[in-house]
Amino acid sequence: MADQIIQQLKKILGSDAVVCDDDELLVYECDGLPQHKLLPRAVVFPNSTEEVSEIVRILSAAKIPFTARGAGTGVSGGALAKDRGVIIELARMRRLLRIDTENRIAVVQTGLINSHLSKAAAPFNLYYAPDPSSQTACTIGGNIAENAGGSHCLKYGVTVDHVIAARVVLSDGRIVDLDAGTLTPGYDLVGVFVGSEGTFGIATEATLRLLPTPPAVRTILAEFPDVNNASRAVSAIIAAGLVPAALEMIDAATIRAVEASVFAAGLPADAEAALIIELDGLEAGLDSEATHAETICREHGAREVRRAVDEKEREKIWKARKGAFGAMGRISPDVMIQDAVVPRSKLPKALAAIYQIADKYNLEVANVFHAGDGNLHPLLCYDSRDEYQLAHIKDAGREIMETCVEAGGSITGEHGVGLDKIEYLPLIFSDDDMETMLRVRAAFDPIGLCNPGKIIPLRRGCGEKRVIATKESGLSEKAIADEKADAAKSYAVMTPPDKKSSSGIPVFDSEKARASVAKIIGEENVRANALGCPLAAFPTSVEEISELLRLAERENWAVIPAGSGTWLDAGNPVGNAVLSISTSRHKNLIEYEPADLVVTAEAGMKLSELNANLDSQWLPIDPPDDGRATLGGVAATGMPGAQAFGYGAPRHHVIGMRVALADGRIVKAGGRVVKNVAGYDLCKLFTGSYGTLGMIVELTFKLRPRPLAEITIAAQSSDYISLIQAARMILSSELLPVAVELLSPGNSVKSDLITSNERHTLLIRFAGADETVSYQVKRAVALIENFRQIAAATISDDAGLWSELATIPVQNSNKLIWRSVVPRSKMDTMLDAATKRSGNGAASLLWQASIGDGRLRVEEEMTDDILEKIKSLEELRRAANSLGGNLVIENAPLILKENFDSWGDAGNAAEIMRNIKAQMDSENRFSPGRFAAGI
Amino acid sequence: MVKNDSLLSDILSKEKEKILACVHCGLCLESCPTYLATGNENDSPRGRIYLIRNVEEGRLQPTSSAFESHINRCLGCRACEQVCPAGVEFGNLLEGARAEISSKKTERGLAYHLQSFLLRYIWLYPKRLRFLFSFSRIIRDIKLPSLLLKTGIPSRFFPRLAFAFALLDASSPAPLNFTKNEDIAEEKETPAATEKKRSVMLFKGCVTEGLFSRINKATGRVLKANRRQTQIPAKQTCCGALHAHSGDLEGAKTLARRNIEAFAADDSPIITNAGGCGAMLCNYGHLLAEDAEYDARAKSFSARVRDISQELPNEVIQANGCGNSDAVTYDSSCHLLYGQHAAGDSLQMLLSANVNYVPLNGSDVCCGGAGIYNLLEPELSSKILGEKLDNIKNSGAKVLATGNPGCHMQIRAGMNLFENSDLKVCHPVEILDESYRCAGRYDNDKAKVKS
Repeated sequence: MADQIIQQLKKILGSDAVVCDDDELLVYECDGLPQHKLLPRAVVFPNSTEEVSEIVRILSAAKIPFTARGAGTGVSGGALAKDRGVIIELARMRRLLRIDTENRIAVVQTGLINSHLSKAAAPFNLYYAPDPSSQTACTIGGNIAENAGGSHCLKYGVTVDHVIAARVVLSDGRIVDLDAGTLTPGYDLVGVFVGSEGTFGIATEATLRLLPTPPAVRTILAEFPDVNNASRAVSAIIAAGLVPAALEMIDAATIRAVEASVFAAGLPADAEAALIIELDGLEAGLDSEATHAETICREHGAREVRRAVDEKEREKIWKARKGAFGAMGRISPDVMIQDAVVPRSKLPKALAAIYQIADKYNLEVANVFHAGDGNLHPLLCYDSRDEYQLAHIKDAGREIMETCVEAGGSITGEHGVGLDKIEYLPLIFSDDDMETMLRVRAAFDPIGLCNPGKIIPLRRGCGEKRVIATKESGLSEKAIADEKADAAKSYAVMTPPDKKSSSGIPVFDSEKARASVAKIIGEENVRANALGCPLAAFPTSVEEISELLRLAERENWAVIPAGSGTWLDAGNPVGNAVLSISTSRHKNLIEYEPADLVVTAEAGMKLSELNANLDSQWLPIDPPDDGRATLGGVAATGMPGAQAFGYGAPRHHVIGMRVALADGRIVKAGGRVVKNVAGYDLCKLFTGSYGTLGMIVELTFKLRPRPLAEITIAAQSSDYISLIQAARMILSSELLPVAVELLSPGNSVKSDLITSNERHTLLIRFAGADETVSYQVKRAVALIENFRQIAAATISDDAGLWSELATIPVQNSNKLIWRSVVPRSKMDTMLDAATKRSGNGAASLLWQASIGDGRLRVEEEMTDDILEKIKSLEELRRAANSLGGNLVIENAPLILKENFDSWGDAGNAAEIMRNIKAQMDSENRFSPGRFAAGI
Repeated sequence: MVKNDSLLSDILSKEKEKILACVHCGLCLESCPTYLATGNENDSPRGRIYLIRNVEEGRLQPTSSAFESHINRCLGCRACEQVCPAGVEFGNLLEGARAEISSKKTERGLAYHLQSFLLRYIWLYPKRLRFLFSFSRIIRDIKLPSLLLKTGIPSRFFPRLAFAFALLDASSPAPLNFTKNEDIAEEKETPAATEKKRSVMLFKGCVTEGLFSRINKATGRVLKANRRQTQIPAKQTCCGALHAHSGDLEGAKTLARRNIEAFAADDSPIITNAGGCGAMLCNYGHLLAEDAEYDARAKSFSARVRDISQELPNEVIQANGCGNSDAVTYDSSCHLLYGQHAAGDSLQMLLSANVNYVPLNGSDVCCGGAGIYNLLEPELSSKILGEKLDNIKNSGAKVLATGNPGCHMQIRAGMNLFENSDLKVCHPVEILDESYRCAGRYDNDKAKVKS
């Protein structure tokens, strides 16, 4: 039968695209971590998404598992095929399909090499930010699978922050398009897909965000007499409010290896540690930042600090850093590369422990790592011919993991779990956490054929049983059969039950219900007819929330998770909810470590209160908020604010969560370190899910230092065309505004600081160091002066202006409010469509447009003619869809909502969203009917 | 852990430490032209090292077709060495692996048999070799290959033979014809007459002398113009690169010993003008490392080797005021670039001739010539050549300079045969030589001869 499959594959792909000779398969038995070996059944080389789909159809019909592979540079054994599965090698799918300079995106086949994208984008002054050390060889597809980081993710974020959409082949061969829930409504599927290590499906095409190449860079190399001083310097740099693009450490052993290699950068052999600090941005002010960093290094005992004098020297330094892993081959026959994360403030302790562990097992360890993120990469040197070392290499690895987890860290920051760390996952996740992850996997891949045996240990804890198969000592047929049976059992649990509606609760005894709720949380924490439900509960602890949900389960009540109740009516009308559970009395700060730039708080804490508690740091999001918005609500709606252009939406800042599931169990997602790819990133799924999957009870965010200066330019004109042109001119310049917001007349009046309310107003905000900001303001004003009809003013004390702006969306609950997102370049077309409708005086509209990311929010008066309104909204939604975006109703009278879907078409991935809902909330208990895709 | 006994003879197992140096990081993949062409890891440096490692560890038969075919498909361009952080000496591993293959009796194609026949029974005998090249020159100069190719018959029925004809035809001279440009004032640089002439030895190279003797002559003239006294040792022979690359290490060693003897008169620099030979001569130290008698001599021999462009580094005399408007591009030649590390100097030398230089994309990627790889692995070779030809077309160049006869013939043959283009191909030193001629640098010499 197997032969028949091979024949079929050859027929589709041609015989030169199928490798099935065992000798030729040998090189595919391992990836960048050759400690793990599994021989595949065959390797196929498709050229297109359609070919991948056909391959997968054939394999899934025969129940043969498959694994996607790019360049095989991964270091977690992720690209190995278990159970003699088939490797789908994407090396030939390396076309760069499109670079869209205006919207700063690239569409690529996922076999494209990471560094080739930046090379191709360079003539347009753009680049792709994630830069793993293997970037000259690794593929975008591999980066997506692992959620790869790199040296510059300290400032620019990891892969998931740069993937806008992905085309994915699912295990049944269907081709779906995943999005972050922005251009297509629904769950952030692309967010949870990135980092799923090929277990959800195969990404064959991706839409990636490109960034403007920073006009100026300063690269500093500082040598230290010992590792501790160097790590303290790292913390001091972060604490000083500097945001380096990269902050890397190399220890003595690594320096020696690198200096012996082709990548020697002139590091002195006797230095015990070296830091590479890179600052980038505008020329203005960069030197003083660099000097500041250099001073900090000297204060912490750096014996020599030098700055790269030119691009050539800079390149040399980076080549040395990035070649470090390979260079270890010079000093050791075998190298086991490890990857773990600790909170930045715990670096000195963790490093000391790692050296100690290596000593204990008589192994040499070299450290080369992303110090700014606390992401360690101990390289354990050994000789596989030495029995003692071979026997202990694993023990040492495990102890390092345990040490880092104990320090509050994670088992992997960027390499992924794959095969290598599967047995460590239980160190940080409970059975419930992992079961939830498996459910999400099942929603994507119900038959369990996508890269099986990776990331999550299946039941019957077979961590120890999972022997590493080699060609000779390969698993016996029986062992394979056993494991398959295991897997099948696990997946059987995941089969979604039939979707039940919660509407079957005709008898509701409100007194009895109130009493049973009060019994859990006390009479003082219950209110009748509040927060949109007959009963509203205000629990004060996670245990109470859990208890309430178990009660709801017993009673079969539909539940609405809530915070302050700002967005209770968001989305489609919720059917028959009995109980709303508000987090607003569950609102304590749990942990705040300024040196780590991380904060953990209960979900009911208000965003405004959190930010007031953070001294010189802040959570840089400004969602719609009149001061009442809770952290849980902000995450559940996931709504970006004006400054999301510069700082990112809530999804970019949530790094950890605890969530109450429908049956009352509390599960954890993510962690408390800024870089973490252990398990699936369920935070992405809950963020923006509008309380339909679970109830967020606790959140961990990564923070930013507060900018030293913030200045806004307010430019006014009677027409918006010239303002959009001015905005575009600024956006395509070298300037880096954090917000570019255009307001309609009337909207402007609410901000007293603006002189005229008859005109359109463009607000451009700059933030950062004094020198940088004042330079940018000057440049921006000069650019705006090209437009004679625009009058510009500079507002230095602008904090009030922006917080007032954030309140606008929550003020008019009796109006019709909708928002649309389209590609940035299509903003004016969308705005024209909105304001130049027939039968609707443009003057009666109030709107606010984020020019930088194509978002538009419009308030209209409701008229009596509902049908006409719906017709007009349908037209607008079609317009948005045809521009490649979407339109969502934010607020509307019930009668309109009952006749017009608030969300619009959820696209070809709608079924996955419904699967996820069915897996996570099988009884449809949470906010039934509220969300997109009929969820 | 007990390893299986190696299936290898000691040829490859003595390279064990080099194999172990590879940590399997994969940074080499993208540097490999054959991997780029097929996407198959077996055709990548990491894959090939893994195959070698498995043979060494006894998991793979050295006679297996996977081992043989993927080792044979390597161009030997050594671009991977340049990006390898662990410093794996891939070129030496490859030669070991090929030696391993040829030491086992395996079924090989006709082309491979022909190759080993030629290397064994012609190349090792200078007289036979000279005869072969004389014969080839006659065939070339009576335009037989180009006439045959014009009929279209060989291309249609014997594509490999057609390409062989095209290669031979591609070695014909391509005159450059610089003219004086009176607008540019000529700077008369007069080399200090008092400076003592430096003595050098010229390595002629068998293919260069056989088919490109004009390049050796140009080299001689340029050296002389730059105040070098050139000796041409008579007993020199083929460098042995073809033998080493095809696994005939013994043949290579025989030739290496002869050359070491031939150049033993003094320790003046040994000048090469072919990257393939230069890289091989630089490697004599490694080749004869186990030869007690020759080890030390080989190492000091290798240390004396330099490309013509390295011999004339910064002080190379320019001939300003001469040139033509043809766009000239430069292709690195892998062995000059990765083996001899002289491609930068070679380009610099070209630029000193005041040419209208245009850069070539992928100049650092192999052209698919690789000795006679183009005849042994025609399919993969032509795929790789195709990339090179596209890049050359896109550069808009009318002239291409390259410092190795193999690349020279491969590129020009490809352009003639597949692109119907009359791109001129020449050695950088030919261009410098032409600029000297045009500028009148050799006039004195002629006058002297006449008088």
